Amino acid sequence: MVTAFVMVKANTGEADRLRTEMEAIEGVRSAHIVAGDVDIIAKAQVDTPAAVKEIAATKIQGIDGVEGTQTYIAMD
Amino acid sequence: MRFVIIGAGRVGLRTARVLRDEGHEVTLVERDEPRVQRARNEAFTVVEGDGSREHSLEEAGIAEADALGALTGDLNVNFTACMIAKHYGCRTVMRIDEAYREEIYRKYADEVDEVIYPERLGAIGAKNALLGGTIRAIADIEQHLQVVELTITDAAPVNGYTISELELPADSRVLAFGKHDGELELPGEDESLEVGDRLVVLADFEVLSDIRQLLVGESASQAVANAGSGSGGVN
Repeated sequence: MVTAFVMVKANTGEADRLRTEMEAIEGVRSAHIVAGDVDIIAKAQVDTPAAVKEIAATKIQGIDGVEGTQTYIAMD
Repeated sequence: MRFVIIGAGRVGLRTARVLRDEGHEVTLVERDEPRVQRARNEAFTVVEGDGSREHSLEEAGIAEADALGALTGDLNVNFTACMIAKHYGCRTVMRIDEAYREEIYRKYADEVDEVIYPERLGAIGAKNALLGGTIRAIADIEQHLQVVELTITDAAPVNGYTISELELPADSRVLAFGKHDGELELPGEDESLEVGDRLVVLADFEVLSDIRQLLVGESASQAVANAGSGSGGVN
């Protein structure tokens, strides 16, 4: 099992919609709207590192209003 | 009143000057040494330190302050400072760095009473200056509510009307009126609108372009081009 945290920078004020769309992605366990340089942090739990890439690079970045992502894979 | 301002940069220091000019007590918190010196040279009280640390805010007198302005360019510092200040019972004002975030912080950040996006008013001011000065933005009251000063032109449909004859859209009010060479005053019903006279109007963004057409006499297409100062219009 791989756990990853995806920092999401948006370019829209529709944070609710972004969070809902992220939580609907298979493998995304939760998503939170946060204060600071990034707008949402999503937590993903999937079987392989390749699946992390699929979630971050394809699915989350494919959401309208997402400007970019930065992903951190948990080591513990 | 007593204020603590985080950040002595271009926004924070200017805000501190304005507050001091109006007789308020201001303490700045700044972590960059040259900026600390610059503010001290202007005789401001400056705490050298990180505005997101509670002890810096305590040193700046947050316990006795009425409000905190978190005006650095760093969102994390600004938000953390607001959280701490809220805990001390202060009103909190946070500067943000991108227009779209205004909506997010207004909705989710209970610790933040007001959100400030300095570039927005700057851009509106620059745009109005470029357009030639018949319309001047005075303040954004809410995201959809703006106070503007308009100068009656030759082409204005209301040129020659009295104030009581003026029919503005529903979501707007005339706040003040000034003859072209006089000071702004509360509007009297019988005063006539002539070229060069100024009206200060509070209006919803939705109806601003209608108001501009009535008072300044812009064509519909010009008015549309000049409208977009609401969300997304100025980035």
